[in-house]
Amino acid sequence: MNSFKGKNKRGEFLVENIIFIVLNILFLMILVLFLIKQGSGAVLLEDAYSKNIALLIDSARPTMKMYVNLQDLKEVSDKNGIDFSDILKIEGNDVTIKLSEKGGTKYHFFNDINVTAYKDTDPGREGFYILTFSKIK
Amino acid sequence: MIKKINTLKGINTPKGINTLKGINTPKGINTLKGINTPKGINTPKGINTPKGINKKGDKLLSIYWFAILVIVAVGVVLMVNSFYGKNYDVRKQESEILGQKVADCIYFGGEFNPLLLNNQGGFREDFKDNFLEKCSLNLTINEEFKRPPYYFEVEFFLEEDLRKSSLLISEGNKNWKSDCDVSVSGKSKLATCFNQEFFAKLNSDSVYLIKVLSIVGKVEENTN
Repeated sequence: MNSFKGKNKRGEFLVENIIFIVLNILFLMILVLFLIKQGSGAVLLEDAYSKNIALLIDSARPTMKMYVNLQDLKEVSDKNGIDFSDILKIEGNDVTIKLSEKGGTKYHFFNDINVTAYKDTDPGREGFYILTFSKIK
Repeated sequence: MIKKINTLKGINTPKGINTLKGINTPKGINTLKGINTPKGINTPKGINTPKGINKKGDKLLSIYWFAILVIVAVGVVLMVNSFYGKNYDVRKQESEILGQKVADCIYFGGEFNPLLLNNQGGFREDFKDNFLEKCSLNLTINEEFKRPPYYFEVEFFLEEDLRKSSLLISEGNKNWKSDCDVSVSGKSKLATCFNQEFFAKLNSDSVYLIKVLSIVGKVEENTN
């Protein structure tokens, strides 16, 4: 009798600990997912990339050609239903990155130069944009 | 002769030292009844007893454990929000690029820009008027009533007289210049300034010290 009672208690002990461990693992997973999601937010990427591309344009000179890797933006824009060829626009002296319908971040650059930006069609460079620079006549 | 050193009854217990009832008394050390259990201390029934683990104690421990987890989670969320919530500030690099572009426009590859000089080898006065166009710079923003978020200033000092500048070129919004002198804790809310200076040789005679100050405002776009 005593041995039967003892076995039941050992079973409860094991189940309780397993549930405890599973809950802890679940908690850690939720934390990690939260961290990853925060780092790849659309607003954050728009802000960072618009500024970085503006700095690239500021440093550029006529006849230069730049290949810019925007694969990270492509993933987010695909999720939000924005075509990849529409995520980067250069109008006047402003760079605009748009990753969602209601989103979009603009940043001004001071280099007085003609900039043309278009999607790279080379299959080996999917997710790239090409920037070409020429002097303003 | 010291009595009772390292005896079975206790450790280092000559009479009179550490033999108060309840403290470090030999009775109860590592016994089955409990740890350090003179009467009245650490002898609740059920802890580490051969009969099994006290369930009330376990449940109490779980509550504390989950409370700690919640505190840790809140701490992580706050830290992440404060890190990713801050704007990405690129004005330091931007002001350096602006300063370098102005400097290269004036003096590049060991020579002055020929557009800056007249036939006599001196500086042309009209170079100041079209400086932005000649150096491919556009400081204006296409929005009404918005002042340029940039400012730069170039001063030329002759080697013989470094106290007084012989030529001054400046463009942009001069109001940003006062932010450069301020050293306060909230400096990120002000414009970002960058200074550089270099020597430039004009022909074989004169040497100039050229000081370039470049400032980028854009406070709203780069700070919270």
